[in-house]
Amino acid sequence: MNTILNEKKEFPMLEAVNLTKKYEDGLLALDNVNFKVHQGEIYAMLGGNGAGKTTTINIFLNLIEPTSGETKINGIVTHVQPLEAKKYVSFVSENVMLYPEFTALQNLDFFTRLGGKTNLTKDDYRQVLLRVGLQEDAHNKKLKGFSKGMRQKSGIAIAILKNSPTILLDEPTSGLDPKAGLEFMTLLDELRDEGKSILMSTHDIFRAKEIANTIGIMNNGKLVMQRSKAELENADLEKLYVEYMAGYMEEVA
Amino acid sequence: MFRLLVEKELKNIIQSPKFLATFLTCSFLILLSIGIGINEYFNMMEQYNTAQNLAKTEMAQARSWMSLSAKAFREPDPMQIFSAGVNYDIGRYSIVNERQDSKLQNSVYSDDPIFAVFRYMDFTFIVTVVFSLFAILFTYNTVNGERENGTMRLVFSNAIPRSTFISAKFVGSWLGLVIPLLVPILVGLLLLVVFKVPLSAAHWIKIVLLISTSLLYLTFFIAFGILISALTKYSSVSFMILLVAWITLVFIIPRIGVMTASQFISVPTVAELESQKDSFSKARWEKHYGEIEKVWRARNAEMEGMNEADRESYREANEYKWFEEDDKVRNDVQRDITEYSNKVGEDARNRKATLENLALNISRISPASSFQLAAMNLSTSDINLKNRYEKEIQNYRQTFSTFTQKKQKESGGQAGMFRISIDSQSGVKVSSGRDESSLDLKEVPKFTQPSHTISQAVVPTIIDIGLMMFFTLFSFGGAFVAFNKYDLR
Amino acid sequence: MLSLLIKKELKEIIGSSKFVYSFAVSALLILITFYVGAKNYQINKSQYDAAVAENIRSMSGVTDWRMINHKIFLPPLPLASLVSGISNDVGRNIGMQGRGELIAKDSKYNEEPIFAVFRFLDLNFLFQIILSLFAILFCYNAINGEKERGTLRLVFSNAIPRDTFILGKVLGSTIALILPLLVPMLVGFLLLLVLGVPMSFEDWMKLFLIIVTGFLLFSVFINLSVFVSIITKNSSTSFLLLLVTWIFFVLVIPKTSVLIAGRAVNVPLIDELNTKKNQFSMQLNREHFNSLSGFRPANKDNFMQEFQQFMEKNNQARDEKTKSFNEKLNRERINRQEVQQAVALNLARISPSASFSLAASSFAGTSLNLVSNYREQADNYQKQFAKFQQEKTGMTTGGGGMMFVIRTDGDKKPPEINPAELPKFEFKPATFSAALGSGLIDIGLLVVFNIIFFAAAYLRFLKFDLR
Repeated sequence: MNTILNEKKEFPMLEAVNLTKKYEDGLLALDNVNFKVHQGEIYAMLGGNGAGKTTTINIFLNLIEPTSGETKINGIVTHVQPLEAKKYVSFVSENVMLYPEFTALQNLDFFTRLGGKTNLTKDDYRQVLLRVGLQEDAHNKKLKGFSKGMRQKSGIAIAILKNSPTILLDEPTSGLDPKAGLEFMTLLDELRDEGKSILMSTHDIFRAKEIANTIGIMNNGKLVMQRSKAELENADLEKLYVEYMAGYMEEVA
Repeated sequence: MFRLLVEKELKNIIQSPKFLATFLTCSFLILLSIGIGINEYFNMMEQYNTAQNLAKTEMAQARSWMSLSAKAFREPDPMQIFSAGVNYDIGRYSIVNERQDSKLQNSVYSDDPIFAVFRYMDFTFIVTVVFSLFAILFTYNTVNGERENGTMRLVFSNAIPRSTFISAKFVGSWLGLVIPLLVPILVGLLLLVVFKVPLSAAHWIKIVLLISTSLLYLTFFIAFGILISALTKYSSVSFMILLVAWITLVFIIPRIGVMTASQFISVPTVAELESQKDSFSKARWEKHYGEIEKVWRARNAEMEGMNEADRESYREANEYKWFEEDDKVRNDVQRDITEYSNKVGEDARNRKATLENLALNISRISPASSFQLAAMNLSTSDINLKNRYEKEIQNYRQTFSTFTQKKQKESGGQAGMFRISIDSQSGVKVSSGRDESSLDLKEVPKFTQPSHTISQAVVPTIIDIGLMMFFTLFSFGGAFVAFNKYDLR
Repeated sequence: MLSLLIKKELKEIIGSSKFVYSFAVSALLILITFYVGAKNYQINKSQYDAAVAENIRSMSGVTDWRMINHKIFLPPLPLASLVSGISNDVGRNIGMQGRGELIAKDSKYNEEPIFAVFRFLDLNFLFQIILSLFAILFCYNAINGEKERGTLRLVFSNAIPRDTFILGKVLGSTIALILPLLVPMLVGFLLLLVLGVPMSFEDWMKLFLIIVTGFLLFSVFINLSVFVSIITKNSSTSFLLLLVTWIFFVLVIPKTSVLIAGRAVNVPLIDELNTKKNQFSMQLNREHFNSLSGFRPANKDNFMQEFQQFMEKNNQARDEKTKSFNEKLNRERINRQEVQQAVALNLARISPSASFSLAASSFAGTSLNLVSNYREQADNYQKQFAKFQQEKTGMTTGGGGMMFVIRTDGDKKPPEINPAELPKFEFKPATFSAALGSGLIDIGLLVVFNIIFFAAAYLRFLKFDLR
């Protein structure tokens, strides 16, 4: 896997191209969304509930198919070659649940193997759990006793162990206390430095501004704004966000 | 990948807290039912042996071949440990002699109705009711539960084909539910050996078949649970559906099948049959009396005009000839009656068989019916138990009657009944020509149990096993198809 | 406050889709039970009528009252089709003679084993299996479910006393679940009327009692479920625990109790009894025969009549001896059976389901009392019948052996008998007060179970951790 990261890829690792999703009942969940995430980049998708962030992630994971357009992981179109594409992605959901009757280690073992890595040892798992900030005494405890923060950490540990070139995160810091949230963001930073491409949906404007290379704002299925970190340096993101959300402004990317 | 998912499924089941409780309950019930079955078997054998000895004693009391009566007993079959079926509803023995129609009488439930109040709990019952519930408890949320707790999305963010996932669900659940149950089952079988239940090789083959059929039944409910879980979004919904389905399949359909059929087909009642036979019998005997009276009048007429001494010697000279003639006529009567009775019985049996087949076929909509029917067939406690025995008893009655008649002729002794001579001169003379010595019973034909070979047990179960397999494959196929379209989010 | 909680409970339960489906299924089953019960009654009644008619018909053309083959039949009881009890295990007809033993033969299950394969769908089944699961389904998470959802904390952030809450829960659930079920029950009663099942006023009272007792069992399961939902942390555990308890109450305890009693109390085998009776009978026969052999008529011209009188006197003496011997043996066995039954049933009463089953069959007249009832009434009828025979023929038949009647008056055919003159056997089921009396202990037990489980729930809830 590392060899993939070592190669410098010119094309984006995660890409949405003219992505549109219309449901049977007429709801237009995504309207011609376009964005790119390159190696070593974090893209933050901002937007209210129902803006289309989760739908986008679900299309990347081929849990639903686009009406038109496509998403690509490592250049592979996800609805055409889903199994191939999934080799290059890890996913952390908003509310990490895992298997409640399994311990943290057992859950890690299962999902890591599922991701294709079969030669890791218990120590490897422990190391990663410590890295994400889960104390040692929790490693052998069943998931059903874990707090939200502990579960999120387990979730990101799984993503780290898979060591895929891309990571998708659905509202990763919602419900976390500031300290845990900061730890999480630090981790993402490290992962970005390792060369991973990260797509993150979030409500958290401030963390997004701190960590993202690019920020996109979604509203009613449209990507209404996309700015790079540099462009946003002096802007009042919060004001922008609210204005875009209210529909005052619309930018065509 | 497949293996990994299977292992996860297995571990998930075994590590869940409900597993230990349900496993212990099932094990306890399996062992209890087999233990009770073994106990009852030995009790029934004791009763059987005692009754047979008593019957022998009774037979030894007979003083003439004509009055000899035998009893044909149903020997308890160790397979009935596993399924009581109709064993306790059917009479335990039949009285066999020339005069009486042979019919099974004195069932366990009619002799001791306390046992009918709550009936028996056998292995088949535990499997039918408890195993199926167990399966549902573990599979109702196997697909939609993973969707609800988000692991579905996580799993499918990896390169897993849907077919692999659902197949692994099936295999993993099967291993996690069936394998542990083999432990108490094997311990139960061990109990059979420890308590020295007399089992032949044929019995062991039937036992293995019965256990396999039980596991097939469990497999159906596992597949069915997975199917419903893959068809519904919420685990609370699949649970309701499965509970209702369980009640319907296990309890309602079997009962309704029989009751529906009985509304459509009428079968002559016992009373009607008995009456028919009685009427014929009475008419035939009346005819016989009429004829025999004429015969005796004629014989008396032959002696007209003789004095007392001559009459006596005439009587003695003709005694044997007259006895033979009377005997033959009486045998003819008996034969006519028996033939008629058999024919009436045969007709009734055929009509009954039509009703029974219809009833059972309707009930076969449910795999629970199929399973119970298969178990009864393998345990020789099926509905044809009665017919098998009554046929065999009929044959035995034939053999026995032929034997006693032969012996009666040979011994030259007179009928066991006393003879009333009507003599218009000396009045009534009551005499008996019978010996006071006991009979030599060594050569009396013994009743042999009807055979129930393996093929006789297995052939009728083929349809039921086939049905269960069909339902299982259908459920699994359905689950497969349903899961391919399942919304994983 | 209490009424507010009760109303909320009512709305929550009845408004749930879970309720709609379970209620629909239960209602359907209730209707099916009554419908099938009525139909079965009709079938049994026509079988009975046919048997009685056939019995009379077989006597046509008979010229001597002593030559008839008379049988008495147990009529189908309307309530027996609703609570089958042991009614299908009891022999339905008894061959009647002026003297001698009366043996009931041909139980429904023996004659039609197809019904023994899966047995019947009756009210007993409905309440024990279906409705008790129904109760568990709705109340297994009565308390811990609210805790899991967080609504418990919310409720108790208001000024609600704990005892009011638990009372509201139980009352609300009970009303919400029982009242709607009364509707299909009433329709079921209507079905009985419409389908022409002849129910006397006492029958209706008994049916009413059965339903009330059934609902007593139902509320036992409600109270038990609420209690278990208080003592277990999560709802899936309480459900499992309740399911296991249900299996034990309904399936394991009753059956095991009977089997334990069966082995603990020795009842003489019926085969032993029959052998003893046969031996005694044979002995008496020999004596009888010897006595007959020694007969010498006093009057040669009238010898047949004298002979028959002599035979009759001998028969009478012989049969009296047989009767007292047999009765003694029978009584012994019956006594042992009653001990066995008492042990079995009292052990079984650990389970409230067993109590209900026993009460229901007592009220319906299909409990073990049916056997003794039938026996008693058959004995009484026999006396009537013997008197009738005496009047008509100057003697009574019975006690085994063939009857030789030799015609002495030439070829003139005597007049046929009129079977309509025979006394009729009218089986009377137990009166309402008798039935009530026999089921009273079980009703009492059910009330006690209700009180115990409710009290347990109440007390535990007072100390329950609401967070």
